[in-house]
Amino acid sequence: MSYTITINGQVHKTDVNGDMPLLWFLRDTLELTGTKYGCGIGLCGSCTVHIDGNAMRSCLMTVKASNGKKVTTIEGLSKDGSHPLQIAWLSNNVSQCGYCQPGQIMTAADLLAKNPDPSMEEITTALEDNICRCGTYKRIGLAVADAAKQMKGA
Amino acid sequence: MTSIRKDLAAVSRREFLKASGLSAGGLIVGVSLPVSLLGSAASTEFQPNAFVYIAKSGDTTIWCGRCEMGQGISTALPAAVADELEADWARVSVLQGDANKKFGPQATGGSNSINQMLEPMRKAGAAGREMLVAAAAQTWNLPVDKCYAKLHVVYNHVDDRSLPYGDLVELAAELTAPEDPVLKTSDQFRYIGKPLQRHDQADMVVGQRVYGADSKVPGVKYAAISHVPVLGGTVKSFDKAAAMEVPGVVDVVLIPRFENAYGSVGGVAVVADNTWTAQQGLTKLNIEFEAGENGSYNTTEYKKQLVKNVEVPATKEFEKGALEQAFELAAVRHKATYVGGHLSHSPMEPMASLVWVQDDKCEIWASTQDPAGIQKTIGAYLDRKPEDITVHVMASGGAFGRKFKCDYVQEAAACSKAVGAPVQLTWSREEDTQTGYYHSCSAQHIEASVDADGKVTGWLHRAAFPAIGSTFNPAVVQPTAGDLDAVSKHPYGIENMQVESGMAKAHTRIGWYRAVYAIFYGFAINVFTDELAHAAGVDTVQFLRNIYDNNKVAEQQEQAKRCRGVLDKAAEMADWGKKLPANQGMGIAVHHSFHSYVAMVVHVETNGDDITVKRVDCAVDCGLVLNPDIATAQMEGAIIMGVGLALNTEISFEDGAVVNSNFHDYPVLHIGDAPAEMNISFINQGVSPTGLGEPGVPTLAPALANAVYAANGKRHRSIPINPA
Ligand code: FES
Ligand code: FES
Repeated sequence: MSYTITINGQVHKTDVNGDMPLLWFLRDTLELTGTKYGCGIGLCGSCTVHIDGNAMRSCLMTVKASNGKKVTTIEGLSKDGSHPLQIAWLSNNVSQCGYCQPGQIMTAADLLAKNPDPSMEEITTALEDNICRCGTYKRIGLAVADAAKQMKGA
Repeated sequence: MTSIRKDLAAVSRREFLKASGLSAGGLIVGVSLPVSLLGSAASTEFQPNAFVYIAKSGDTTIWCGRCEMGQGISTALPAAVADELEADWARVSVLQGDANKKFGPQATGGSNSINQMLEPMRKAGAAGREMLVAAAAQTWNLPVDKCYAKLHVVYNHVDDRSLPYGDLVELAAELTAPEDPVLKTSDQFRYIGKPLQRHDQADMVVGQRVYGADSKVPGVKYAAISHVPVLGGTVKSFDKAAAMEVPGVVDVVLIPRFENAYGSVGGVAVVADNTWTAQQGLTKLNIEFEAGENGSYNTTEYKKQLVKNVEVPATKEFEKGALEQAFELAAVRHKATYVGGHLSHSPMEPMASLVWVQDDKCEIWASTQDPAGIQKTIGAYLDRKPEDITVHVMASGGAFGRKFKCDYVQEAAACSKAVGAPVQLTWSREEDTQTGYYHSCSAQHIEASVDADGKVTGWLHRAAFPAIGSTFNPAVVQPTAGDLDAVSKHPYGIENMQVESGMAKAHTRIGWYRAVYAIFYGFAINVFTDELAHAAGVDTVQFLRNIYDNNKVAEQQEQAKRCRGVLDKAAEMADWGKKLPANQGMGIAVHHSFHSYVAMVVHVETNGDDITVKRVDCAVDCGLVLNPDIATAQMEGAIIMGVGLALNTEISFEDGAVVNSNFHDYPVLHIGDAPAEMNISFINQGVSPTGLGEPGVPTLAPALANAVYAANGKRHRSIPINPA
């Protein structure tokens, strides 16, 4: 069985086992390691990618289920790191170890695409299941609010 | 060597970072450069020491020998080098040093990177600057003291000539490095003390930062592992054939326990074409384990036993004054017992490493806090010399003390040896949760007396917890006098004291968890102090002020003064004593650990058993702050970890094995439970810098527990308060 998945605009045909989670297909087969493994069962959000424009946990999404879909990973969120969230992440010095941050940013990008003017409470709700063990939550909230402001101004 | 250096000079910063960090299928470029290029006439670059390299273009590379795990050390230390070097930070690239003695001690823990390495690294930068200035002076035929460096250029006071660093490297490389270069005075600092942006964040937000788990080399195989669940247990049987039937599985590797404190507990690994297939193979193995002597370890029972052990006389380890007399003469006496559970570090990046064992070399890419520890352990395992083990230090996705140990590296080495290929081993979250080096569970009993003047006159402190020493030496069955030092020397300056150690044989591996014993010492001492203040009818902040002011112990004077300093500051920040609505309260805690001083006021609101942390005010004295923004981030992170361990997280054992498995039953803090407000102030007393990664953790839980008492009158003496 072969599957076709468009990842960051590039069409990939593959015959890997369709039950493989997209996470490991991205990380091990395509060597797109920006998408992280944190828990494997949908609890931490480190593996968040966009599938047809919606934030999804790639550890819970199989290759089979991704067939024919458009996937965006952190590597494809912008060409050059210029997404307002990426910029806001830098201006707020959000990251500590940085391991959870691709997932945080992908989740936040989905939020802002659907709700350009979120309240702090809405930001917190959207990111409630993205764990950051380094404890960067305060700065994550500020950065998302910042990015929203930038996007509205633009 | 030369060709590597040429490569280094030729490739751009990003390409080089990628090459050395090993991007997909990338070229492997070692970063072992000569310590010195003295007298090399052909040199077109300048490397005065292990830390600094300047190319003819002027592009500058600074190595960080300490390990980066999110704490920002690879920005803070290189920025100090750049400061002394008078380098333009925009032209500096930072590289993580591989395991190599030339970088000095690389083990990264105990919050000591900055206090140990700041001076040598500043000197490395200053030496480079002096040599560049000397080269310019020689070129111009001017006295050295008429020349000075500023932002990658040397100028002089005589005329308006100037020379950029790049033009000076050839000549500078021929000069002798000064033994004792002159360091800047603090008014001359350009980067030290400034909120310079971290060098590694841009790569993080585009998914290009390469962690241990992300390392790749051509031909890499992937492994997953199931560990022996009980310490000292063994693998009885497993169905290798069933796992081998999974398409893509390459091999099944039995890994016996490696009797080394940093080695594997034992288990079975499956090597495959990708991680998921390896995980699938594991599910087919049907492994049976033999539990062994720790098979009845049960933390509920064990903690009860620890409590018993501290509520009767135990082994006396420290004594001063006349405790009994102080107790007899007391106006107020109080006693209480405190309990804490095991904790797992649970960094977001689980244990992972890539190892390639070959006949003539062994190359390792790992997230680690202790590169030399890997060299030693893998050297012992492979029966090779430590220096023959090459360790590339990768970015760690968090560590918190766990990645000091390298059991996951030794297991990857076992897999690589078995299959004759490079193997990337990634533990599952479940294995990470269940195969740790846990923070000790603990019980502490304190009895104290206060005299008629409100002065604390006597203090009896008994502690029982499985000590870290037990991981290295199973004969250790109770805390040592050294383990109890932080109690015996606690800067309360109490005249009559007795400190005792209770029995606590370990039944699991015990490790260093961020702040280590200071977590439970800080909890017990600060909650007890709050109780004592209430018993004496004195406001807790005032009670603490009195304690520090009454401290007459000569060697504790500085500590008492600095504790008092952060206490006053935190109280002022929080507006201590202000009227709060019903069901709200403030609590305070002060703790001295890792040579630093922290005071925290936590403000909570309670609703039945529900506790919401509304605000945390935190005052820190860690001496000179290298980078206030990174320092603030460290404290914010410590607060988040502190709230989690105060309220929710505990590792429990039943039948010798860990019960928890993933983030649903080891619920580290989520964003919604983070304090709505955190204020952090540094009191810079102008003394040399001290630890910062850890000292923020111990004050949170006791301040929180004291705040809950203030809010609803419920006294919590056990953490976590609301276990999952
Ligand atoms: S790895 Fe997918 S949610 Fe944690
Ligand atoms: S920055 Fe380390 S886990 Fe979030």
